[in-house]
Amino acid sequence: MNVASHSNAEARPPATVRIRSLGRPDRFVYALLRAVPTWALWLLVILWTVPTGSLFLNSFRTRDAQRATGWWASFTEGGWTLDNYGDVLSSSRQTGGLAQALLNSFAIAIPATVIPIAIAAMAAYAFAWIPFRGREWLFIATVSLLALPNQVALLPLLQLFAGGAHWTVPGSGTVVTLFPDLNLAGTLTAVWLTHTAFAMPFAIFLLHNYISSLPDELFEAARIDGADHFTIFWRLVVPLSVPALAAFAIFQFLWTWNDYLIAITMIGANGANYPATIKIASLAGEFGLREHLLSAGAFVQAGVPMLVFFALQRYFVRGLLAGSVKS
Amino acid sequence: MDALTGALWSSTAAIGISALLFLGANRLFDLVAERWRLFVAVVGAMSGALSFGILIGNRVLDGPRVLWIAAGGAIVACLALAPGLFANHRLRLAVGVGSGVLVGLFLTFVVDAAVRPTVNTIGLLAFVGIACIVYLISAATVGRIRPGGVLVAAALGWTAGCWLLGDIGSGSRSSMALAVIGPTSLIGAALGAGPIRTRPDRDRFQHRARVGTFLGPALLFVVLGLIVPLVRTIYLSLYDARGRNWVGFKNYGEILTNDRSIDLADWANIFTSRLFVSGVGLLAVGAVVGLRLGRRRGRVLGAATGSIAPALVGGSLLMFAVFSTLRGTVINNLWWVIVVTLVSTGLGLVAAVLADRTRFESVAKSLIFLPMAISFVGAGIIWRFMYIARPPQKPQTGVFNAVWVGLGKLAPGTVGQAVGLIILAALTAGMAGICLFGIRRRQSAIAIGAALSALPVLYLAYRLVGPGLGGVEVGPLGQPIGKPILFVQEGPFNNVWMMVVLIWIQTGFAMVILSAAIKAVPGDLIDAARIDGADERQVFYRVTLPTIVPTVIVIVTTLIVLVMKVFDIVRVMTNGNFGTQVIANEMWQRTFTEFNLGLGSALAAVLFLGVVPAMALNVRRMQRVRL
Repeated sequence: MNVASHSNAEARPPATVRIRSLGRPDRFVYALLRAVPTWALWLLVILWTVPTGSLFLNSFRTRDAQRATGWWASFTEGGWTLDNYGDVLSSSRQTGGLAQALLNSFAIAIPATVIPIAIAAMAAYAFAWIPFRGREWLFIATVSLLALPNQVALLPLLQLFAGGAHWTVPGSGTVVTLFPDLNLAGTLTAVWLTHTAFAMPFAIFLLHNYISSLPDELFEAARIDGADHFTIFWRLVVPLSVPALAAFAIFQFLWTWNDYLIAITMIGANGANYPATIKIASLAGEFGLREHLLSAGAFVQAGVPMLVFFALQRYFVRGLLAGSVKS
Repeated sequence: MDALTGALWSSTAAIGISALLFLGANRLFDLVAERWRLFVAVVGAMSGALSFGILIGNRVLDGPRVLWIAAGGAIVACLALAPGLFANHRLRLAVGVGSGVLVGLFLTFVVDAAVRPTVNTIGLLAFVGIACIVYLISAATVGRIRPGGVLVAAALGWTAGCWLLGDIGSGSRSSMALAVIGPTSLIGAALGAGPIRTRPDRDRFQHRARVGTFLGPALLFVVLGLIVPLVRTIYLSLYDARGRNWVGFKNYGEILTNDRSIDLADWANIFTSRLFVSGVGLLAVGAVVGLRLGRRRGRVLGAATGSIAPALVGGSLLMFAVFSTLRGTVINNLWWVIVVTLVSTGLGLVAAVLADRTRFESVAKSLIFLPMAISFVGAGIIWRFMYIARPPQKPQTGVFNAVWVGLGKLAPGTVGQAVGLIILAALTAGMAGICLFGIRRRQSAIAIGAALSALPVLYLAYRLVGPGLGGVEVGPLGQPIGKPILFVQEGPFNNVWMMVVLIWIQTGFAMVILSAAIKAVPGDLIDAARIDGADERQVFYRVTLPTIVPTVIVIVTTLIVLVMKVFDIVRVMTNGNFGTQVIANEMWQRTFTEFNLGLGSALAAVLFLGVVPAMALNVRRMQRVRL
């Protein structure tokens, strides 16, 4: 009975119709109608899986097979190979050089995940449990920046990293340096800092939702024992917030691993620091010798987040929900 | 490997240093309650060392750096401590001013002659006045006005007035003395005028300092990384391509009037397009059904599947008619936002409802959700493989065109056509059976639905027997040849094929959240409705749907914000060619390949303006939740 859900209600006779009272052909039609939602669901699932499946199968086909036929032909005609993966990872003119890019992706994603967590957890604790004047509006102002498009901050941040901020005094021509030139253009540090800034509103929002829901008595007891804010934060809040921290970490890792915009803007022309997304995007931009490596490359790039996703799906979903469905 | 280890080392070092700074700040503020003097000395030494370091960094002081920094620390620490030694108010003030004058005199003699400014008395007074007024206004709005604050503001105004207005390097020793002694004595007075800190004062101060240490780093990133850049982007959008000359709203004007952004030239074609005509037709059907239903229920318009479904389909056809005729970057972006948001949310709701309480719920949901883990770039590549179109004489390697051209090649008399006809006949028979079932059971919805669903099946059968189903055309020799669809290159519907990619990614997001919302609908609410005699359909439309409306709104706003800045997919699949340009990609190209900073910033500002309503909505929602 539970197969029939709400959506086929339209096709469903009212509860007064008893299945036993139906004739044989009617019972058949009724069973058919009841199965419609299940079939619709599987149709949707198949439609949603075919693209990834196609890429996966294509990545194991030889160059000639990929150029001649679609992946379904290889079930009868053969043409399977593992070479694409080796080729796309190793670096030479004809191959992808994706191994280095994958390391760069890790080098971007790991610090860009760890740094925001630490900073945002402290801020979320302050917003949740340290009373001060203006707390409400400061919190709302910070979190409202969630919707800020990254594009708005890209150029000024790049200018800040690549030249500092200077102000020429009108009239006298004196240049006052407001922010020193750190010469960070093309470095991974610029990418980390940008990711950290962009992650702040969401991280604070997510962690605050969790930390503020911790029981009040806990903090009362700690305060009576003479614990100061630092002790409470470190000994109490951090260990108790591990689920929320993990949820945000997965989010941020997927986001930074999959990011293209910030990396291409901040790294610019410094090809040695390109992460995997830029590498496969440039593979996709050329039509030639290496085209057959594209599917393997794309699959390798997507493999890491898919593993993370399947292994830690529960935390990921919890994070999503905490960010959206709030009473 | 070098990059990774290097990155790990430097990030570990950065985290370590930040942690030490954080711990150090906490230790420092631990001193406030019990050991106030030590705290004052440490803070004074630190700010002295810092300011002397800045002076050395700007080559104002000559000599060994370490010595100067140490001296600066010591001098300012003494300056800060001195007033605290006396209990009498007047004496404290005198000591503060006196030590300030001494420090100023000292600086007058040691600082390089090359930086001595001339002093413009009127300008100086104006700067001091402005600084004091700014302080008074801001202090009055935020909190209490303090005499010390006025003095510090005056000192800042004095410094700015001397060095910004004066002619640097051509001043005399006396003008230098005036420029230096003024601010230092004012700060000394501020230190001396301050009240003697009582224990409650110190506790309050300590509490505030804690807030600072916990919030400071995050606010630093938010302000320096988001707010200041936002302001600067808006500022740059009012300047020319190099960011030098003020041009007012010219960049915005160019976005609004440029043919590439908004091209309304073909607007008249909207009304003759097939999409428009069929859309109007469906709307009319919906209206007629609605009116009839309404008459039966005693209302103007009756809402039911029979009236809503045609109206919805007709409305979307009208929308497609408009967007496929009017072209341009901004129009494309609007098209993206509307289609992806509505379709993702709708499909997500359908998937969530279909999967709810089935046996394979978690598997099905995981598979639909999986694209969320794939990057936009990767998704673009995946779908490029789906959309490949190859010349007609070669086998199609993309799934869609293989199916499309394969269907077209089902020539009369082939096995394929026979199989197709059998399948279609079976479908028609099934529909007819369901229709009969509906008539016998007096379920007009089932009967009409089945009869209507049979129509497209019959049309497919006609195409299969007659002109051919799918991509086929008559070749020069009269034989049929395949005609693949150029999904990526052929406008304006290549936009829609690219939207499919984002819909593919975002449906899982909508589904997961809606699924959780549906499961969170209180069970007793549904039970109560059932006891009152509601069937499944009524339960869904009257109980479940109204309960999850807030969640739907959250999803819609999130998606609007996300789709507004769509970039990676367009960049990977067409890079804005073939009439698929969107604002974010245009912005990137203008800014980072053409270095037209003004126009690029204006485009970014347009994106920002687009999300302002969503931001306002979020703020409203949070205020309701929290207050």
